[in-house]
Amino acid sequence: MIHIQNLNISFKDEQVFKDFSLSIGQGEKLAITGESGKGKSTFLNLLSGFIPDFSGEVNIDGIELNAKNICEIRKKFAWLPQETALNMMSVKELLYTPFSFALNKVHHPNKEQLTEIFDAFSLNENLLNKKVKEISGGQKQRIILASCVLQKKPIMLLDEPSSALDKRIKKRVTDYILGLKNTSIIAVTHDDYWMSRSDTVLHLGEEK
Amino acid sequence: MQNVMDINYFRLFMGYALMLIPILILWYYKTGLVKDTIIATLRMTVQLLLVGLYLEYIFKLNNTLLNIVWVLAMSVLAVYTIIRRSGLKFKIFLLPVLVSSLISILVIDAYFLGIVIKLDNIFEARYLIPITGMLLGNTIRNVIISLNSFYNRIDDEQNLYRWHLANGANRRESLLPFMRDALKKSFNPVIANTAIMGLISLPGMMTGQILGGSNPNVAVKYQIMLMITIFSSGILNVLLSITFSNKFAFDSYGNLKKDIFRVK
Repeated sequence: MIHIQNLNISFKDEQVFKDFSLSIGQGEKLAITGESGKGKSTFLNLLSGFIPDFSGEVNIDGIELNAKNICEIRKKFAWLPQETALNMMSVKELLYTPFSFALNKVHHPNKEQLTEIFDAFSLNENLLNKKVKEISGGQKQRIILASCVLQKKPIMLLDEPSSALDKRIKKRVTDYILGLKNTSIIAVTHDDYWMSRSDTVLHLGEEK
Repeated sequence: MQNVMDINYFRLFMGYALMLIPILILWYYKTGLVKDTIIATLRMTVQLLLVGLYLEYIFKLNNTLLNIVWVLAMSVLAVYTIIRRSGLKFKIFLLPVLVSSLISILVIDAYFLGIVIKLDNIFEARYLIPITGMLLGNTIRNVIISLNSFYNRIDDEQNLYRWHLANGANRRESLLPFMRDALKKSFNPVIANTAIMGLISLPGMMTGQILGGSNPNVAVKYQIMLMITIFSSGILNVLLSITFSNKFAFDSYGNLKKDIFRVK
């Protein structure tokens, strides 16, 4: 599904990736971990086309990553940013914004789908009537995660998906997301439980 | 027509004394704007005096080519002011903003002078130059605010912009909230100003016409038309400036270029 060969990325004098190669299969769950500054978030940003200066080959679902193809490639992703402080007024807006895009309209969730994911993530539907600033960081993270899941994309890119969740909820959310059969999931994480449930764990900074 | 009361130079000087109020306030609050205010006032004075002389000459000549060149020169100066004030780089924004300004002026001037007023020659100096001047003068503020808001907000909230892109939004969709915000910031004051027109504020052009001895009814009709043309050309200019400059301000992957700001 994702093939990377001889990837090189440098920022100023620092080489973050050097001749890095990796393959991720369809439905594979990859956890990326490592110290800060070792390129974890850079890796997700690269796949999303936010790092245009790289050398090497990156192929996503049969499409080569380059400026010409980037729009096609981005259609395959649902993305959870590390920083969930997105400037939005309401929780409803936070959940539904991706479904206002033409590509995702077809997956606009119905009542049952919404109830199912809210139950799975221990979220109360009353949250939808609140303002973003009235809810906790963990709730915000789960709302964006729910939105990612509901988009039904083949690849999910998640930056610290469980960092703001407490132990009980973390387990529930991790089990649900990593249980999605046909979805390839690439998550940057420091969470032991998430890593233990992933198919592959990549320690950046150790083997590059 | 009544004779207009002239202002002699001593009284004009007395009038300038009013500038002490903003200068003192800006100085007291250490805004760093005192020098700019004095320079702006001096520039305004020199420019208006020169314009008075030029216009007299240009109106007498009334040469189509000269009038067009004059409008072009006004546009270049307006665009220079827009880009300088919005803190963006000239080499990236000069061309798109200039083209946008020229298109919006051409469209609105042609409609207003050719269709509404039905001039035989829309390039007639007495109409083309003051109307274009009013349009440009009022548009500058809108374009500065909107360009500033649009690009600064994308830069400040890159996370939101990227979140849109990486969740399947196309370029237009991912820029939509930033465009919406820029339009709101730029045109909310225009709407408020339009709504109170005649009640609280008496617009400068209408007042000038009345002081100059025009029939108030004619002055009012021109003012209404001007408010509408200013609004339309302003919003057209903003929309085109943002749309055209997009092509130069983002890289081929749709990321905002880091070097578009002159000052940040």
